[in-house]
Amino acid sequence: MVGVERVLGAFGEHLVLTYASLFLSIAVGIPLAILSLKSKRLASFIMGFANLVQAIPSFAVVAIVVPLLGIGFTPAVFAIFLRALLPIVKNTYVGLSEVDEAMIDAARGIGLTEWEIIRYVRFPHAYPAMFAGIKFAAVLANSIAILTAIIGSGGLGSLVFEGLASFNTDKILAGSIPAILMAVFIDISFSYLEKRVTPEGIGGG
Amino acid sequence: MDIRWVWESQNLAQRTLEHLRMFGIALALSVVIGVLLGLYLYRRPKLAPIAFNVLNILETVPTLALLVLLLPVLGLGEKPTIAASVIYSILPIARNTYTGLTSVERSYIEVAEAIGLSEREVLLKVRFPLALPLIAAGVRIAVVFTMGVVTLGGLIAAGGLGAPIQTGIHLYDRDIIIVTGLWVGALALILDGVAALIERYLRDRYGRR
Amino acid sequence: MVIEMLFRRIETVELRDVTKRYGDFTAVDHVNLEIIGGELLILIGPSGSGKTTLLRTINRLIEPDEGEVFINGRNIKEFDVVKLRRSIGYVIQQIGLFPHMTVKDNIGLLLKLEGWSEEEIDKRVKELLHLVALPEDFVTRYPHQLSGGQQQRVGLARALALNPPLLLMDEPFGALDPILRKQLQEEFLRIKEVLGRTIVFVTHDIEEAFKLGDRIAIMRDGRLVQVGYPDELVLNPADEFVAKLVNVDKKFKHLDTLKVKDLMVDVEKYIVEVQRKDELLQWMRDKNIEFAVIVEKGALKGVTDLKSLLKSQDLEEALMEPLVFSPGDSLASALAEMKRRNAFLGVVVEREKPVGILLANEVLLKLL
Repeated sequence: MVGVERVLGAFGEHLVLTYASLFLSIAVGIPLAILSLKSKRLASFIMGFANLVQAIPSFAVVAIVVPLLGIGFTPAVFAIFLRALLPIVKNTYVGLSEVDEAMIDAARGIGLTEWEIIRYVRFPHAYPAMFAGIKFAAVLANSIAILTAIIGSGGLGSLVFEGLASFNTDKILAGSIPAILMAVFIDISFSYLEKRVTPEGIGGG
Repeated sequence: MDIRWVWESQNLAQRTLEHLRMFGIALALSVVIGVLLGLYLYRRPKLAPIAFNVLNILETVPTLALLVLLLPVLGLGEKPTIAASVIYSILPIARNTYTGLTSVERSYIEVAEAIGLSEREVLLKVRFPLALPLIAAGVRIAVVFTMGVVTLGGLIAAGGLGAPIQTGIHLYDRDIIIVTGLWVGALALILDGVAALIERYLRDRYGRR
Repeated sequence: MVIEMLFRRIETVELRDVTKRYGDFTAVDHVNLEIIGGELLILIGPSGSGKTTLLRTINRLIEPDEGEVFINGRNIKEFDVVKLRRSIGYVIQQIGLFPHMTVKDNIGLLLKLEGWSEEEIDKRVKELLHLVALPEDFVTRYPHQLSGGQQQRVGLARALALNPPLLLMDEPFGALDPILRKQLQEEFLRIKEVLGRTIVFVTHDIEEAFKLGDRIAIMRDGRLVQVGYPDELVLNPADEFVAKLVNVDKKFKHLDTLKVKDLMVDVEKYIVEVQRKDELLQWMRDKNIEFAVIVEKGALKGVTDLKSLLKSQDLEEALMEPLVFSPGDSLASALAEMKRRNAFLGVVVEREKPVGILLANEVLLKLL
């Protein structure tokens, strides 16, 4: 048996790890997507890089962080951040850039500044794609946050690895079941949020 | 940094072969099962939403959690690794097969029926070839998923390139980590590139524009 | 709240030697044009003649390669571009409205950006809706819930929100069906009188030009061919091209031989048999039209449009008795009758059943 307190503690660490990385990815990813709007070259560089890193196995990304930053919580956050950043930048950029040019032109014509066009015209149109990206990133973060226990991040992954090392099924279950429930929760709650923030008149209408 | 030392001490040639073997078996299984499932759902479209919802939920399960949950059933090693790879890879392939088959333009089907093709012939001679580019796109996603899962297999004694990465982390040996990590990354990019080429070839050949 | 406009009223808008090239193609070729404060100037020409490009140099959506634009004698390059555009209303064909914003948010966006309070915006939006003949409860609707004509009215209301002294309109009625276009032109004339401001209006429809314009500027291949009042253009056309464009006489060459049935428009989609106002409203909304021919047991009862319907208590009050012709009537006498009665349409009836509509505007276009 594994103590309830141990599981709760690990779950708490897991949440902090997942969401800290996710928020960091959002905080960096969205400005990066906006910046990409300014320059075609920057955009194609970022998109190319995004596609590249997405093809690399998470385990390799987590491992490569070790020689760079060592082990522990911060390197783990950085590894998750790296993987979660890309879907967010990519989807946000695609959403922002795929707004009908004629509409941007109309907005400019009635006297909106470039920033106001991003804020009032591009962003509302990008919400659906952006949220799909954030949802994907959240699921990814939740998954990698288990793996990063191998580089000392703590959390539910520690239970899994301890269980693996000692063939203790209880520990394995205590580590993996909450993570799976968390994944399902993320999927459902983000889908709900996505529907809520999508403005009427976009898609479907 | 001594690449040669890492390569030999960690037996990377051997590990790479193991890795590619698991990858090959898992991907082949995924393609067969995914395409068949897509075809089946095309025949029974009422089941499609349920099937895709279930697969979607499976898709969100953390990879390591799925791997360790398969242990009691399938033991350690290659088997659970391959099984987990297949579980993740079925969705993109089946979904793209299904979408590809169902979204063929009406006019092509009408022409095919007009010249007297049976329903079966329409499926095999018209719908399926036209769906190939989308199926290939699904397979490309599966390539990336499978590489990811197979690499993690190293953590449950499946061998492959995940094993030396784990060793490197446990020994805190930056040479092993960097060499193996970059090698896995490069391998993943090469396989993704090959998949992209195949996808592009099929799109040029059968693609609709 | 007082909005700070770059200019309160327009004395002149002056285009000096304006040229715009795209690669080898010269879209606008050394155009000199002076727009007088208070007038409605039409820019007309075939597609690709440079009229839209020229219009867009006035609010700096396009920067000319050569030449300059002056408003009230000041080079517009001196102004902040955003302030300039907010001092100039801009109405375009379709898509100009933001699909994710309600009617109120669309109209009130610039007011909000200018820092108006919620109540002030509310009040102003209602004022503007009233001006463009839309009901107040439209504020919560989204553009996709409106008909084409209603969207165009909202577009006009948005352009007028900050009360700009200058309006640029780029084929605002271009995408509408003929009956609706006619209605909106009528309405626009009324609004124009109320507002009394300077307007530059792009169109390719010579009837629209004659109907709305004070002066007409004719463009072709990027060059300004002739500018003048309608009668000047008709009496002294600068060249063959202008003569062909404006020569109304020639169009009526065959008029004597034509019958009403030759040029009537199909009426099928506008015919409906209903008893109540709400039924009709619903039907018009479903069909996305703003005009209806009401029948009873197949026989013509009257015609109505959305605007009168919204203003009326019931269906009876909204019904109008249209001019009625039969298919065999001479077209010339039918048109003369329409002109005398100042009607822009007549219903063509055969054995009491409506079979077509005669639109003055449409007839002229077809005769071109």
